[in-house]
Amino acid sequence: MVNPVLLIAVPLGLAFAIPLFGFISQKLEKYIPPVAMLFNLIVSLSLIPKVLEQPIVVSIGGFPPPFCINLVAGPVGVLFSAIIALVGFLVSIYALDYIKEGATEKYHMLYLLLLTGATGVVLTGDIFNLFVFFEILCISSYALVAYLGNRAGIESAVKYLIQGAIGSSLVLIGVALLYGLFGTLNMADIARNIDSVSPISVFVPLVLLITGLGIEGAIFPLNAWLPDAHSSAPSSISAILSGIAIEVGIYAVARVIFTVFGASSIFLFLVLLGLLTLLVGEMSAFSQKNIKRLLAYSSIGQIGLIVFALGIATSYGVVGGLFQIISHSLSKALLFLAVGYMIYRTGSMDISTLDGMGKRMPFTSLAFTIGAFSLVGLPPFVGFPSKFLIVRAALAKEEVLFTVLIALVLLGTVIEGAYFFRVIQTLYFKGKRVSPNKREEAPIAALIPIGILMILIIVIGVYPRLVTDILNSAASELLNRIGYIKGVLG
Amino acid sequence: MRRIISILLLGIIALGITLSLAKIPFGTPKTKVGRYYIDKGVEETGATNIVTSVVVNYRAFDTLGEVTVLFIAAIGLGAVLTTGRRKKPERKIEPASLVLYTGCRFLFPLILLFGAYIFVHGHLTPGGGFQGGAIVASAFVLTYLGCRERRISERGSKLAESLGGLIFVIVGLVGLAVGGYFLMNFLPKGIPNFLFSAGIIPILYIVIGVKVGSELAGIIDNLIEESE
Repeated sequence: MVNPVLLIAVPLGLAFAIPLFGFISQKLEKYIPPVAMLFNLIVSLSLIPKVLEQPIVVSIGGFPPPFCINLVAGPVGVLFSAIIALVGFLVSIYALDYIKEGATEKYHMLYLLLLTGATGVVLTGDIFNLFVFFEILCISSYALVAYLGNRAGIESAVKYLIQGAIGSSLVLIGVALLYGLFGTLNMADIARNIDSVSPISVFVPLVLLITGLGIEGAIFPLNAWLPDAHSSAPSSISAILSGIAIEVGIYAVARVIFTVFGASSIFLFLVLLGLLTLLVGEMSAFSQKNIKRLLAYSSIGQIGLIVFALGIATSYGVVGGLFQIISHSLSKALLFLAVGYMIYRTGSMDISTLDGMGKRMPFTSLAFTIGAFSLVGLPPFVGFPSKFLIVRAALAKEEVLFTVLIALVLLGTVIEGAYFFRVIQTLYFKGKRVSPNKREEAPIAALIPIGILMILIIVIGVYPRLVTDILNSAASELLNRIGYIKGVLG
Repeated sequence: MRRIISILLLGIIALGITLSLAKIPFGTPKTKVGRYYIDKGVEETGATNIVTSVVVNYRAFDTLGEVTVLFIAAIGLGAVLTTGRRKKPERKIEPASLVLYTGCRFLFPLILLFGAYIFVHGHLTPGGGFQGGAIVASAFVLTYLGCRERRISERGSKLAESLGGLIFVIVGLVGLAVGGYFLMNFLPKGIPNFLFSAGIIPILYIVIGVKVGSELAGIIDNLIEESE
């Protein structure tokens, strides 16, 4: 069996080694992130059959938990690390040709470290270690948002930095309070003892942790940084931030609520918060004229849907939420990657300048269309089964409240459809200025990841059974706290 | 109005944190993990400095993460400053006074030696890699003040940062290969209070010291270039 700690150690070591490879040849540097992520993808996929039977608990340093830091590679952790590795791998291939200017060596190091941080967050079983990996994830994304070095990039990176730093400090205070109360940092150990103290004293750490982690997860009203940061970063980074970083934030919130605190009383609050995030995000996206801002606001809407589904907290609901995470990662990464070269060709982010792209860049436009259809939830794309599961979960509650709420969610989807169709209409049916012979397709290094993402979206959309096993056992890991505690502490 | 709301919100947060803090049994030996480290630390890790045994052995994985955070901060700053850099206006550097110049050259090796002492003895006396590294970096700040035309070698500091991080990970992987646990203390623990004791702890602290020193020096170097 491969030790799950390699999922963190190998990319981290390779990231440190990038300058050393640079001493041999500058050209080698950019091939390190794809190699590292391919390794992670293979290891994660090979771990899946094992973790479906029982989670793998790894202690670091050879001391028994809770006295050491331990990793918990359960279905949730491995599912997320596989998504991170898959999207990270595809986007790093895209970046081979896309990132040419600036400090490219530092770009590749930061990129790999960002993904390492994300993998660490989803695999760790220790709440302070979670904070440390969260810092790695956040600080490298601040730097990458500012990578282009233009005014908009620096400004939004500073905004992101300030809000993110406040969030991190809240998390740190929350962790400190928990350590003070329980004398341990192990998540399973805290979860076991959480009922032994009065609810009011655990409530404050809970609020601090949700607020702090929720900033990275972009839950309304903590998402003011997101539209700027996602729209002014290089497109490859936007794809990672939208496709991975915010999902990892949501994972952290879910882990804290479901496993550490077992706070079933705030599920309804979570549902309402998710709905609010969804509606705010979709309505803001509707009025955007800048294509990357539109996608960024649409991410907020999708995050709202995920939080809504997780808040339902039934087996169906959590499966739907996790499925939606997969579908959003793939679709939004595809959209940002496709848009990246459209912007490169037109030199503008304005939606109106994209007219006629259907003829100029037919493959990329097709990719955008598939990504958009999938996000809206049309069959046969991956967005359809995930949204369908969420609707089914809400209706299975058999409460009037949830029926009303799901109607509002569907209203959000209608808005989503409206603005995406508007963009697609611009791509294909507007602008006759360009002669049809003039083709300017994206380079091959970009078309390969775009093509693979399109295939994945369609294949998983047609055969959702490919992922149902892992999703079901991931959902039961989140819902079954006792099992998690037993798995770690015995 | 906005101010009143802010004050109210702050009050609520302060009240909540106070309520929560009031429940924490400060000063009592109730914290179980802490108690374990105090009782078993020297025996299990060989380091007489308990803080070090926690930082570099029990929770070495966190330390690896913290080292990475500092590394990211340094290269992130470098990346932003490189791309945003405009044409450097030619400016004459005013030389420092003779006293400052001579003093810096005299003190530089001594400060380096002191920094190295702090991180080499991290498992025995207060201090360690981070503190020693900061002292090493302060020697470079002094050089920038006194010998203004000098610059640290970019290649050298890059090499030190990368090798430092890489050695940390490799030591961890050797532990995984030898004992089955990442970052396991696989070397003999020796006799406590001796310089050659505590297994991998001194190695990791030397690596951290060199890495932190070169990163902090690199950050200062980047900022100086930007402000010129």
